[in-house]
Order: sequence, then C-alpha cells, then structure tokens
Amino acid sequence: MLSNHVTEDLSAYCNAELPPAQSRLVAEHLIGCNQCRAEFEEIKFGVKLAEQIPQFSAPDSLWLAIESQLEASPVNEKLTLPAHRPSFLRLWLPRFAAVAAVIVFAILLGALWIYTRESRPFWEVARLNGAPLIGSAPMNAKGQLALGEWLETDGSSRAQIEVATIGQVEIDPNTRVRLLETKPTEHRLELARGRMSARIWAPPRLFFVDTPSGVAADLGCAYTLEVDDAGASLLHVTSGWVALQLREIESIVPAGAACATRPGIGPGTPYFEDASDVFKSALTKLDFDSGLTEESRAPLLNQILSESRLRDTLTLWHLMYRMQGSQREQVFERMALLSPPPKEVTRDGCLRLDDKMLHLWKGYLENSWSGDSRLKKVWVDAWTRGVMGMGKR
Amino acid sequence: MEQRAVMAEPTIDERVIEACKEGDREAFRMLFEAYKDRVFSIAVYSFGGDEAAASDVSQQIFLKLITSIGQFRGESAFTTWLYRMVVNACIDEQRKRSRLLPFGDAPPVSRIEDRRPQEKHFAGLEVSSFVQAAIKELTPKLRMPILLKYGEGLSYDEIADVLGCSTGTVASRLNRGHQSLAKKLSHLKGEVF
Repeated sequence: MLSNHVTEDLSAYCNAELPPAQSRLVAEHLIGCNQCRAEFEEIKFGVKLAEQIPQFSAPDSLWLAIESQLEASPVNEKLTLPAHRPSFLRLWLPRFAAVAAVIVFAILLGALWIYTRESRPFWEVARLNGAPLIGSAPMNAKGQLALGEWLETDGSSRAQIEVATIGQVEIDPNTRVRLLETKPTEHRLELARGRMSARIWAPPRLFFVDTPSGVAADLGCAYTLEVDDAGASLLHVTSGWVALQLREIESIVPAGAACATRPGIGPGTPYFEDASDVFKSALTKLDFDSGLTEESRAPLLNQILSESRLRDTLTLWHLMYRMQGSQREQVFERMALLSPPPKEVTRDGCLRLDDKMLHLWKGYLENSWSGDSRLKKVWVDAWTRGVMGMGKR
Repeated sequence: MEQRAVMAEPTIDERVIEACKEGDREAFRMLFEAYKDRVFSIAVYSFGGDEAAASDVSQQIFLKLITSIGQFRGESAFTTWLYRMVVNACIDEQRKRSRLLPFGDAPPVSRIEDRRPQEKHFAGLEVSSFVQAAIKELTPKLRMPILLKYGEGLSYDEIADVLGCSTGTVASRLNRGHQSLAKKLSHLKGEVF
C-alpha cells in the first residue's frame, strides 16, 4: 500500500479529477502514509486558498474604447448590420426581440432554478424509525439531503446518513442537522441540537461537525456527539481520535475519552470516562465555572492532580496549556511523576510551552491513552470494511 | 463559505458566434458582455494587479477576437479558443513590457503580513486580498493553471487544451501552485479554515 507515494496525484484528488478507482487508491494510501498525508494537508489548504480567488469587473470604459477603435478601423464596415433589411422588420424586430428575450430569460431562469436544485450535492439518507423531515417534508424510506437542507427527527424518529463515500452518521430522536459542505477536501455537517453517532473511514480532518460551541474534526473512526438546547455539547469517542476546536482552543480526544463544550467558552479539557467522579466534577468546574479566581481554582486543581492516574495524563497534558504560573508547574510535576518525560524534554521547555517538547512527550503518553498499534488496526479495519465494501454494515 | 464571486455562465451559442463572424456588432457586444470580466480578471492577475495594463490588453484581445473569429472552426470549445487567445496575448504583452519596465507593482505578501494581528481577525473579508497578492507572486507557469481552474472553472483537460500541454503537466503545476500558496499564506491556517 505504501510502495508508491501519491504526492503527484494530490491536487487532482482534491479537485475530484481522478477516476473513482484511482481516487480510492489515493485515499487508501493517505491513511497509512504520514509523508503523503502531510503533503495532502498542505495541498488541501492551498486548494481552499485558491477557491477564494476574487474576480475583477471590467471597467465600463472598456467597451467604449473598443467601440471607438472599431469606428476608426477598417473592420468597422464589416461590423455594421446589413442595411437592406425590410423596414417592417427594422421597426418591429427590436420589439419582438425584447419580448422573446424576456420569455427566454424567464425559461432560462426556471431551467437554472431546476438545474441548480437538481444538481446540488447531496447525501443519501435512510429512515430508521418514525418520520424524519428533510426540509419541511416527511421523508420516504430513502431520501436525499441536499447542501443547505435540514434533517430533523422528532421524539420517535431516527435516520442514517451516508457521508459521501467516507462514512455514516446515525441521527437520534429530537435532533436537527444540516448539510453545510460536501466536496473531496471537506465534508461538513451542522448539529444544531440532539445527538448523532458518526463512523468515518477517511484521512484525518475531512469530516467536520459544527456545533454552537465548537467544531468536531474527525481524525478517524467513531464517536457520538450531543448538543443540548443551550448549545452545550458533549463528545464521546468510541474509536480513533477526534479534535474539538473553537478558535485557538483545541482538545484532542482519543477513544474512551469525552469532552464537553460550552457556548462562548469552547472545548473543555478531555478526560477518560472511567476517571473518578471527583476528578470529573472538579474538571467541569475548572473548565466552565466563570466565577473562579486564582485562589478558588487551586483546590479544584489539587483534586484533579491527586485523583489522576497514568492515563489521566491526557487531561494533564491539555491542562499544561490551560494553566499558568505555579499551577502549570504543579501539573508538570504530577505528569512527570506519573510518566517521566523523555530525555529531550526539559522542565523549562514544558513550562514555557515549547510545542515540540510537549508533543514529543505526548507521543510517549499516548501509549497509555490508547495502544497505537490497536488504534491503527481499528482504523485500517474500518477502512477495509467501509470503503472497500467488505462487510460494510 | 466561499468568497469567490462565481460568474454566471454566458449564454453564448453557435448562432451568436456565427453572427459575429458575419460582422453583427450586437452579437459581438453580447460576446463582449459574456466574457469581459473573465478576460479582464486573467489580465489583471497577469499584470500584477495593474488594472490599466489589464484594460489595454483586454481591449487588444477583444479587437483581435473580432478580426480573427472567422478562423474559429469549432474544433474545440469556443471558451478554449478564447482562453488560449487571452493567455497568449497576456504572455506577449508581458514580454513586451518586461523589456521596458520592472514587472509587477502589487504589494508583496510579506507587506500584507506586516499588518497587526488584530486586523487579521477581520480576515473573512481579507482572505481574498491575501490570496490575490499571493497569486500575483506566483510564476506565470503556476499562476495561469490556478486562474483557469479557480477563476474560470475549467477542468484539467480544458486547461491542458488552453495551455497546450498535457493533463499531467497541469496536475503537476497545480500541485506546485497549491503548495506555494499554502506556504506563502501559512499564517492563515487555523485562523480561517
């Protein structure tokens, strides 16, 4: 799978210019090849930038300049309408033409409306229970969710969405989602409220879910995401990794972990669901209690640190970025006690948030968060089952 | 959300082109209206944002179009034929000007980057101006496929036809163009996308 790199095909892949079979090979290669995936991320970013190219409007003076050149040019004679047309036509032709133009314009407008409606990108939807609505219409057993359309379930209905060719999303009761984007470089859903479960088999950061308090970026595999009426969300990752983002804040959440978000605040600190109740309760307060002072934060941090186990270094690693001063030092000391940093990682470097050092340490800690080899196996298995059509549910 | 202004498909058919060949000025005006912004946009980027130069070359292109449209045999799409003329005219004019003047007076990306960070947060509207500046800094070989792909919506095959090269060459140049844009505008990563 990794023998032939696909870097030369990456722009064509992003622009959907490859035949389906080749496109699938590229996608498959990207899952296993870090080198090509790094280039893919760069080219995908370049494509998104290029899509922002502004156009210019020609100045009104351009036609006048051309016309005056034509007047002065010998080609002018060739460019005048024949003068021997019947006077009746000369009189009525412009009026007929104007009426015809209005009719043609109306027909074209109608055709354009139908064409754009029909040709909008869409995802296939299957009804699982009840009567989900697409737009405002109840869907049949099968339906299509077009770009910009809402899918809504009531208390007794559920639906399943095919996310292009890269995965599936199950929509639980009382949920409202909208398709925001679907193209080779980005598939994006908005979850306004309710709960959804996603299983994605694609290279990282192709599938995104916007919620009122953050964006979930898929890094491979499966998760559930729920949003309450206040816009707060809770993510549970069942396999692989998911990143939760809002502006500069990002939480990386592995399988077995969860992370909450709040409107106006963004993602909290991720934690393993089997952490102690004291640990989780203190973390929730630390993340989202806006009335905390430096002093009132201290006992909460102490509870978190004293309750933390080796795998809770997931939470502590994120807290390194979120704590300051002596509290960051406390977090470092606890992490170092639970899992001493590699020799290249220094205390000073970590305390000044040297990104390279912290990520190097994270690489070691990840073994205790989830086994890398197992993760890779799950990911490749999911890819094989889903995309290659072998045993897809 | 994409900020790119997507242009309406021109309603130019064979009858309009035939009428142009017969010297019908109204038909030519229709042709002009359908393609003026596209031709002008390519010219603006080709001349580093110099709209006066772009206007001059656009004028030349349309005058050449009317005198040579009789040579259009319909062997390729009209747009391909037109874009080929636009690309060649821009290259010729660049060559002429490069002998007279230093090329390009567009603000380099680095100058735009000097803006204060808080200004960058209004980037929703500014991204396109960063992109505009970065595209002007690309070499013509990398710039033209980007313009034809994203400005004009041409496929790789159509771009290859316009530029007279293989589809593989187009893919390769776009690869390099995308990478170059990504590197030049890496400061926008994570902020907007």
